[in-house]
Amino acid sequence: MSVTSKNLWRFLCATVAIVLMVAALNFAVDPLQLFRPARLLPAMYSADSRMQDAGLIRSQDFDTVFMGTSLAIHFRQSDIDRALGVRSLKLAMTGSNSREQGFVLTAAMDRGPKRVIWQMDDWIFRDAPAIDSDIYVPADLYRRNAKGIAGYLFSGAMARESLWIGARAIPPLEPIVARLTNGVMFKFPISRVDDINTLRPDFDVARFYNAQSAVAAFRRITDPARSSELAQGYDYGAMVRNFERDAITLIASNPGVTFEIYFAPYSILHFAAMRDASPATLKTAYDFAAYAFPRLLQFPNVRLHDFREVKEVTHDLGNYGDVIHHSPAVDLKILSWLADRQYVVDRGAPLASLERLKAQVEAYRVER
Amino acid sequence: MLTTGVAGDPLVLAIFKYAGFFAANLNALFATGLVVNIVLPVGISFYTFTQIAFLVDAYRGHVARYALPHYALFVTYFPHLIAGPILHHRDMIPQFERSETKRPDPHLILCGLIIFAIGLFKKTCLADGIQPLVAQAFGPNAPTFDQAWIGVLAYTFQLYFDFSGYSDMAIGISLMFGIFLPLNFNSPYKAVSIVDFWRRWHMTLSQFLRDYLYIPLGGNRHGRVLRYVNLMITMLLGGLWHGAAWTFVAWGALHGVYLCINHAWSNYGPKAPPRFARLADIAGTALTFLAVVIAWVFFRAPDMATALSVLSKMADPGNIAFGRIEMVYALFVAIYAALAWFAPNTQEIMGYDHKNRTVGENLRAPRMRPLFLYATAAVLAFGILGIQQHSEFIYFRF
Repeated sequence: MSVTSKNLWRFLCATVAIVLMVAALNFAVDPLQLFRPARLLPAMYSADSRMQDAGLIRSQDFDTVFMGTSLAIHFRQSDIDRALGVRSLKLAMTGSNSREQGFVLTAAMDRGPKRVIWQMDDWIFRDAPAIDSDIYVPADLYRRNAKGIAGYLFSGAMARESLWIGARAIPPLEPIVARLTNGVMFKFPISRVDDINTLRPDFDVARFYNAQSAVAAFRRITDPARSSELAQGYDYGAMVRNFERDAITLIASNPGVTFEIYFAPYSILHFAAMRDASPATLKTAYDFAAYAFPRLLQFPNVRLHDFREVKEVTHDLGNYGDVIHHSPAVDLKILSWLADRQYVVDRGAPLASLERLKAQVEAYRVER
Repeated sequence: MLTTGVAGDPLVLAIFKYAGFFAANLNALFATGLVVNIVLPVGISFYTFTQIAFLVDAYRGHVARYALPHYALFVTYFPHLIAGPILHHRDMIPQFERSETKRPDPHLILCGLIIFAIGLFKKTCLADGIQPLVAQAFGPNAPTFDQAWIGVLAYTFQLYFDFSGYSDMAIGISLMFGIFLPLNFNSPYKAVSIVDFWRRWHMTLSQFLRDYLYIPLGGNRHGRVLRYVNLMITMLLGGLWHGAAWTFVAWGALHGVYLCINHAWSNYGPKAPPRFARLADIAGTALTFLAVVIAWVFFRAPDMATALSVLSKMADPGNIAFGRIEMVYALFVAIYAALAWFAPNTQEIMGYDHKNRTVGENLRAPRMRPLFLYATAAVLAFGILGIQQHSEFIYFRF
């Protein structure tokens, strides 16, 4: 064999050896805790919930799953546990749609939870790409198939996280690494599972959630130049189809699991914006609720709460950062309402809360 | 015959690439409501160019008698097909005809693999690594002064590492088959002038536009005014080639203006004294880089309004965020700038000489430096490990 041929083989063997070493490192550190809960090295968590949830489902002990969108993202698991007397796992994903939520919940069902608390709204049932075409959800990681595991182990980005987590475990390096760890450079900067996607203690709640912010958001979305965006995703037929596929199928196939579903307390400005700038969208939202509520209540394992009619919260604009996102104080109220079984939709009158909401929206006048 | 052939190629390109653009403009002007939705065939721009060049050269009598399989291989040669370099029949077909090309050469395979590795690393680790920072300028939120600059500079380096990475990969793959592809990049951000930039950036496109557009238009043979007109026409069409949008026209126009100013300065401006030559080069590099960065705003922006908005933010130093995130991002950008300005490029690392058909002569030594071998193996390994499921080359769409 010529010298060049030997060099060629050396080059290829060295490449394969480095790739395998990286895979071994990722397997040993296992940043997502996909194979085992972290023991030797400190557990670290990512704020990228679509990825992190795949590991949480495997590594955490839980009997209750908490699902939702950005409206449910800031809840603390410890608050949920305390309020409801459960051991919860928060799997909420910002901006998620029902297809993503249904997929992640289905993966969580393998661990046998007793209860699902599901923050729902009409918008999650907009049309969305198939889960394997959704570039934000690593679907094969949830499925734990060869493609998913290979993508996880043979990942340079994950190796960087593994090295960082490893460095953090070395006592002399720990303080420096901890100071340098942030979400800008590393995907796993959170050291406590309870802190995933919660607001930092130094977060200025009053500055973010106040009536001025809510009214400014109302003006923005009702601006004639933008108001057409209110209708985006609101297609009644598609919403019903997606609701049946993602929510009803999951509920029907898990009769032993209690689904505690709540429609989040949007500010009244959300509905007023649709009323003033896009009445057809408001009608679609009402029509969808009129379809979904009775349908959900056909299942004995569903308890449905409609918090959209809670006037003392939804009309107090100081609770909101825009027209829908509520403050952490409202998070705690939601937990207490769930614990006390308040605002439960009556199976005998499934549309009563919707009618009350309609009356509130009709009567509400926006202060100019 | 020539007219039919040369017109036929751009006609097909026009239908696939520009029909939607024309329809959109007609709709805007006359409210016609035309809807054109045609899928763009992969690599159409590149094989249109290669065939136009072949037809023109055949007309000029510059084409030897080639076998049809070699011609077909030349037009459809897969390594370059998607994003260049633009190939020339005089360079390629004689290589296909060589008997040595038909035998695997371990030296060329090793060198090809290393060049491919560098290209892959540029794409998956460098270009994809800085890609998220681009949203600082072009994301949904209005940027501050520093965010706009960070985002635009990030795009400047992303585009370079992405496109030159693809060119390196094409060159590397081809080299494994014993075929030397022309260079497409030569550290363009080290250019000391815009003229120099176009000799270093997308070199095969520049050569094509020069030989088959600028010179046939008259080049510099009919006085200075017409030369500037020809430059503007060439760059406007070069811009439009990149995409059917006014932003690309604006990008081409800007570069046309830059080139005119550059030529005018060379003709009428003062010459730097020899002792200040180094300083003049540094100033020229900085000014050229700034001009190129500003033009990239139009190249990247989805529409003219966004481009002008980003440029206005870049010119508003009164609105600055510069928090912890911006500081880290600025550090990232500085590292990429150092790589682009001070690191040797792929052909310098590998001693790739396209003209003389030599590469990696240092690697032929009986005892090749192990550090180099293992370092390049690591580059390939991390290039492979950096592959993300949802990442494509920016130039795929052109």
